[in-house]
Amino acid sequence: MPTVLEFKESEMFSMGVELELQLVNTRDHNLTAAAPDLLAIVKEKAHTGDIKPEITQSMIEVSTGIHKTHRSLLAELRSIRTLLVTEARVLNVGVSGGGAHPFQHWSERRISDRPRARHVSGLYGYLAKQFTVFGQHIHIGCAKGDDALFLLHSMARYMPQLIALSAGSPYYQGVDTAFDSSRLNSVFAFPLSGRAPFVLHWNEFEAYFERMRTAGIVESMKDFYWDVRPKPEYGTIEIRVCDTPLTVDRAATLTAYVQGLCRWLLSQGPRDVTEEIYLAYTYNRFQACRFGLEGEFVDVATGMRRTIAEDILATTETVRRALGNEAALYEVEEIVSNGNEARWMREQYAVNRSLPDLMWRQVLRFRGEEGKT
Amino acid sequence: MQEPFFLPSWPPSVENFFWYGALLLSAGIAGELVERWTRQPRMMGWVLAGILLGPHVTGAIDVSALAGMSSLIHLAMGVLLFELGQRVDLSWLRSNPKLLGTSALESGLAFALMFLVIQLFGKPPLVAAVAAAIGVSTSPAVVLAITQDQRAQGQVTERLLLLTALNSIYAYITVNILIAPLATEYRGDLVTILGHPAYLVFGSLAFAAIMARSTLEILRLLGRREETQFLAIIAMLIVAVWISIALRLSVPLALLGFGTMMRTFDRGRHFVWLNFGRLGRIFLILLFSSTAAYLDFTFVPAGIGIGLAIVVARFVGKTAGVFALARPSGLPYRKAWFLSLGLMPKSALAIILVNQTAMLYPEFRPLMATVMMSAILILEFAAAPIMQLALIYSKEAFEEGKN
Repeated sequence: MPTVLEFKESEMFSMGVELELQLVNTRDHNLTAAAPDLLAIVKEKAHTGDIKPEITQSMIEVSTGIHKTHRSLLAELRSIRTLLVTEARVLNVGVSGGGAHPFQHWSERRISDRPRARHVSGLYGYLAKQFTVFGQHIHIGCAKGDDALFLLHSMARYMPQLIALSAGSPYYQGVDTAFDSSRLNSVFAFPLSGRAPFVLHWNEFEAYFERMRTAGIVESMKDFYWDVRPKPEYGTIEIRVCDTPLTVDRAATLTAYVQGLCRWLLSQGPRDVTEEIYLAYTYNRFQACRFGLEGEFVDVATGMRRTIAEDILATTETVRRALGNEAALYEVEEIVSNGNEARWMREQYAVNRSLPDLMWRQVLRFRGEEGKT
Repeated sequence: MQEPFFLPSWPPSVENFFWYGALLLSAGIAGELVERWTRQPRMMGWVLAGILLGPHVTGAIDVSALAGMSSLIHLAMGVLLFELGQRVDLSWLRSNPKLLGTSALESGLAFALMFLVIQLFGKPPLVAAVAAAIGVSTSPAVVLAITQDQRAQGQVTERLLLLTALNSIYAYITVNILIAPLATEYRGDLVTILGHPAYLVFGSLAFAAIMARSTLEILRLLGRREETQFLAIIAMLIVAVWISIALRLSVPLALLGFGTMMRTFDRGRHFVWLNFGRLGRIFLILLFSSTAAYLDFTFVPAGIGIGLAIVVARFVGKTAGVFALARPSGLPYRKAWFLSLGLMPKSALAIILVNQTAMLYPEFRPLMATVMMSAILILEFAAAPIMQLALIYSKEAFEEGKN
């Protein structure tokens, strides 16, 4: 019998990245509907990876090919970045990272002229325009569906770490939200957000998907807006909690860190994953979104509580002992000591107390021209 | 019986302020009606109201009332050109130099073709040159009014604004330079011939630079709060308009230069981008309706042929210029069409330019009017709806409920 949702085998721990990026004008640095024009000229240039439209016209999504090493992933991300930045300048458009635009008004956004975007807009109404937020999606390759599900649930424990490390959406709709990552609150509004059902065997997952599909709730895996979801057609798990970092270098760091974590989890980590892992999930997730690295992490099973920063440092130590000293581990520790993107944004805002000015600093940071204000 | 002393004489004499109100209200109503009944740009209604109330039709607003409004027209024009100028990012020309090529080509070719065509109709070269120079500019008022109304965003819109600002600058400079041969023809002393154009061009641009530098300094001290900046800018605009009138500079060149330099000199990004919003809208309506009152249909019978010829020559020149470097500058041919159509608008503001030139040399006035009036009338009514359609079909207009 053909399976309903075949999990395509891919090389274990191979990785790939998708980044949703903001397009702003150079006048007041508000979002601008530049995606159709930018995509039209980028299409004619030779490039690796993929550059696609997103739900609204002031967003684009870039994705890399499949990589085994941090170094090659970084090289591809940088070349895509250079292409985008060069072409965007031809059109007088700024490209930026960050999980949300600091002062755009969602009602001014324009839904992209494509079937999927129109479908989502028709179904979700204003939520679609409010979904103009920008995330980094990390793909980790798995050989089998069962491995994917094991990693998907084991990684749940590390979601607060990834949220806190990448958090870069403190300002939203013109105000300081007090959150380090306000973006994830926009995702919560969708009925099919949250987490995957706790099943560990691929055939059980297929059965779940089939029931949802025949009930008419979903049509494809795309309709699930989970924090981590399996992507059977790629043979990966896709981690979707990260805000898009302000530089592609940091995007590569986070991806390589996740790769290290998965490698450790599957080789030497705890083998028994139970649904208990989700007891404190939403609490920890909230702590990470709200307080970033200073947020509290609670492990219900052991009763341990510590800051997310402490939890990260403990994790990098463990992984380092198991896998050796990888660059990403050191870079993650540096984020812990220097602060995340949200902290950088608040510091930059403090210089001139102007959100448009902050936005332009983000554009320069993405270009790698920081300091040239 | 003696008339009661407390009642006014009939018709009551009213001051200029009354006419501002009357014109604003009737133009506003006409604009809404045009939008509601025909789905055409509101500015068509503003223009119609101006023509109907103006001295050439009903005469409700006569020549003297119009003259009394000239200071307001100057201020409105100043605000409008400043608004256009500050929207233009000249650093874009550095990252995409082919745009400067596009600008030079569309203006140069349009000028050359119009110059030739007008001479073919047997007009003197000097008249042809001044008329062609005026024809080079795209109406800043129409471009701003329609891009704002349509909330347009994209390359057609951005390039339209940039090219309009640039071709307006070329037009003002060229017209001012052409005053030299005009003086040769009608007056003839060397000081006037060389000094006057130089004073107009360099004086206006130097004044613009001084205003931009000092305004930026004021803004640096005031901080980035939008309300505060708005107030300071409006005050500086009033000052700039009246000083340039007092110094007999070119008001359009000075104010457009002021806006552009504000953006270009602002390295520290002290100038937050201003949306002139409702105040800008009031100025736009007054500008459209009051300048439309100058439109004179009596010139049409004599000038319709040459008018059509100018319109065609201008379109061909601008379109060829836009297409020449479209692809290398990153614009697909489809959008190049929309951009070319978008560059068509011309408004009665150009008449003011004609009148200013003519005022110095009254002999010149009827000649210019026969050549330009029909072309301006045709474009005033045909080009704005076409430009609006260009923005809609290029999908850069914001369509409520659709995107």
